[in-house]
Amino acid sequence: MPLRLENISVRFGGIAALTGVNLEVADDSVVGLVGPNGAGKTTLFNVISGLVRPTEGSARFGDTDLVKGKIHNRARAGIGRTFQIPQPLHELTVRENLMVAQRFGAGRIDPSRIDEILDFLNLTHKADAQAATDLALSEQKALEVGKALATEPKLLMLDEVLAGLETSGKRAFMTMLARLHREWNLAMIVIEHDIETISRLCQRCVVLNFGKVIADGTPDAVFRDPEVRRSYTGTGAAEHA
Amino acid sequence: MRAFPIAIVAACYLVVPVVLGSNDYILSLVIAALTLAAIALSWALLGNLGGMVSFGHAAFFGVGAYTSALLAKDLGVPVFLAMLAGGAGAALASVVTMPALRLRGPYFALAILAYAQIFRILANQMTGVTGGAGGILSIPPLPTVFGFDFSSKLGAYLVILTLLVLGILAYKAIRDSYWGLALKAMHDSEDATRVIGVPSTRLKAAMLVVSAFMAGVAGAFNAHVIGFLEPDYAFAGTWSVIPVVAAIFGGYRTLSGPILGALVIYLLDQLLFKTLMPQGHQIMFGVLLGAMILFSPSGLLPLLTKPFARFKPAKRTPTPEKRHAAAA
Amino acid sequence: MSELVLQSLYAGLLAGGYYALIALGLTLIFGTMKVINLAHGEMVLLAAYIAYTAESVYGINPVLAIPLAVAAVVLTSVMVYGLVSRIRQDRELNSLILTFGIGIVLTNFVLMVWSADIRSTNVPWFNEPVVIGEAFYSTSAQVLFFLAGLGLTAALWWWLGRSWYGRALRAVASNRNAAMLMGVNPRTTEVISFVIAGLLAGIAGVALYTVAVIHPDLGHNLTIKAFVITVLAGLGSIPGVLVGAMLIGVAEYMTITLASSALQELTGMVMFLLVLFIRPSGLFGSRGRVG
Repeated sequence: MPLRLENISVRFGGIAALTGVNLEVADDSVVGLVGPNGAGKTTLFNVISGLVRPTEGSARFGDTDLVKGKIHNRARAGIGRTFQIPQPLHELTVRENLMVAQRFGAGRIDPSRIDEILDFLNLTHKADAQAATDLALSEQKALEVGKALATEPKLLMLDEVLAGLETSGKRAFMTMLARLHREWNLAMIVIEHDIETISRLCQRCVVLNFGKVIADGTPDAVFRDPEVRRSYTGTGAAEHA
Repeated sequence: MRAFPIAIVAACYLVVPVVLGSNDYILSLVIAALTLAAIALSWALLGNLGGMVSFGHAAFFGVGAYTSALLAKDLGVPVFLAMLAGGAGAALASVVTMPALRLRGPYFALAILAYAQIFRILANQMTGVTGGAGGILSIPPLPTVFGFDFSSKLGAYLVILTLLVLGILAYKAIRDSYWGLALKAMHDSEDATRVIGVPSTRLKAAMLVVSAFMAGVAGAFNAHVIGFLEPDYAFAGTWSVIPVVAAIFGGYRTLSGPILGALVIYLLDQLLFKTLMPQGHQIMFGVLLGAMILFSPSGLLPLLTKPFARFKPAKRTPTPEKRHAAAA
Repeated sequence: MSELVLQSLYAGLLAGGYYALIALGLTLIFGTMKVINLAHGEMVLLAAYIAYTAESVYGINPVLAIPLAVAAVVLTSVMVYGLVSRIRQDRELNSLILTFGIGIVLTNFVLMVWSADIRSTNVPWFNEPVVIGEAFYSTSAQVLFFLAGLGLTAALWWWLGRSWYGRALRAVASNRNAAMLMGVNPRTTEVISFVIAGLLAGIAGVALYTVAVIHPDLGHNLTIKAFVITVLAGLGSIPGVLVGAMLIGVAEYMTITLASSALQELTGMVMFLLVLFIRPSGLFGSRGRVG
């Protein structure tokens, strides 16, 4: 059930956040999404998860139309995402966060599966902690992944889940993500700044700059591309935006 | 843990009738107070579970009252059945107000206020159905079932008590369900909730319908107890004001808050304020409301338990005006 | 028929002038503090009753009672600010509930002091007919306060746009913290906006008393009317207020002419809901701007 975006454009007022983006993600592949700040990476996630409606273009995930459909139907269709700034469900415990995600996102109730996710993310000891107030940053990030997992996605979109973690935390999280792909059999799109992370995790890497795809290929090939190097060093989007 | 509430309910059913059974004046005060408690509970269901503050619950109260009164009087529908239909009528009316669900907090509150006004004007105008400003007289009273006369003060007391208990059970059932969890999560993290598959607008709409149903049944009950209706009474601002005051006073984040709030406020009003100030005694509602918002926005209970922690640190993170941007 | 329509168009436009007076204060405060003052209509009503007392007890012409009415309402308005500014959390909603409460207090205060009777002015001059072109009828009071409405709207607009206080006010409205860093004391500007809102409400109250009839329950309706106009105008837009007020005025008078006077109030409510649903930022305004 592949993701297929065709000619996606998003404009906020006069600003073009995305221009003519084409992207296909096959089942079971891990795609890195990189680019300078303001390149449109998170906007692309927002389009796929329905928080932003594209001005132009078509987007499908299997049989699901991602341009018109309601936000909440995407979880049922198999799209899970995390937020760059963790957004735990306020006033709920960690376990309740996952319960709500499972009940509404996967449409079933299976406590053993929730235990499994808690265990996988090393959150078992925090299961009854208040999600919004009682978690360390790394645990909040893990919960972000957990909420998405509980909806039983076929495609998991991770928005800088490693950012802000210290090195050892980062390494542990990466191992976990690699296991996630192997054991849970998911397609993944990963936004990350760190080139090394992308190289280790992904078979394929897509580079956005000024809202356009400027490179698409294996991480090695992409990071050797002179245009990509320029976008990261010389004239980054941040200076223009 | 559960023994205490059960004991209270048992006392309400058994002890109160024995002690007050013969005192019609006190009983009618208690009946009115419980009616208001039922509206306050319906208000709090929307306010606490649904996260929407309404300034116009009179709309649902009034529609429930008229639906039930007309069905019973003109079509001869049995009164208890008509009361259920009154709730259904109010629920149906709430469907008309659903466009307001797209609006953010204050605008939702005011839109519902506008709806209540519109309903009142329409009830005044539709003379063919409602009898207009002249009102409806001799609405059938609560019936006699198996020899027990529910139209007596004691009977009415038992009916409204039962309605309130059913309302509490419904409220609890929703609160403790997956829906309740999702609704609770929606208050502060709407996008995050929707992204994991929660149909937030649908849940809010459902809360509006349930809340309107409860308010409608309360209105219907009141109509059959009073026996008389006119638009300016059935859709009076009081029915919108008192639940807000009661819920804010008792603390609308809790289940018992709005109910206790309604009882305390109504009895204070009738027994104290009204005797002190025959004209304009409702001024105290305003004073109470203002004082609660300033000194203890989360209700009286925290004020009593934590006298020195008047302002709790802001629990709600302000959400940026995403919805505005999305609507524009 | 067409004459009747023209007449109601004229009457509606005239009414728009004093409706604008009623709405301006609410709009101003919403624009500066994002606070919807639900006690606004009651403040207008308070001024109307002061004018009534001046006339009926002391025999003072209501227009000459304006300073007294304004003083009382400005004082009330500043007190409202004192309370509203104490709210720390969730100000948007809590201030709504607080001012709702203040409105209840004022309504019942009016009821206690002046009783529930309906009052209107007995000074004949206000009710003298003014006929323009032999087709358009109105009273002197309507014309007077139409002009006052035009003048004060223009003055407020000019003041917000050109004066230093006005600029400071807009700075605070758009970014409180940045304005503070630039040396603007936000509390001062907020108090000033409440003073001006009180001033306008005071004049509006006297207008109300001379043009129409008053009773204690009216405050609520006035608040709603002011809010309807504010929403129509585009929340926070001053020139929009005049246009919105005239729209409401014309719609109301058309309803009276073509349908029935009982439906007058309905028109405003329905327009209010339509605008909220179709364009939450109003007809004329860009979102959240003052001026």
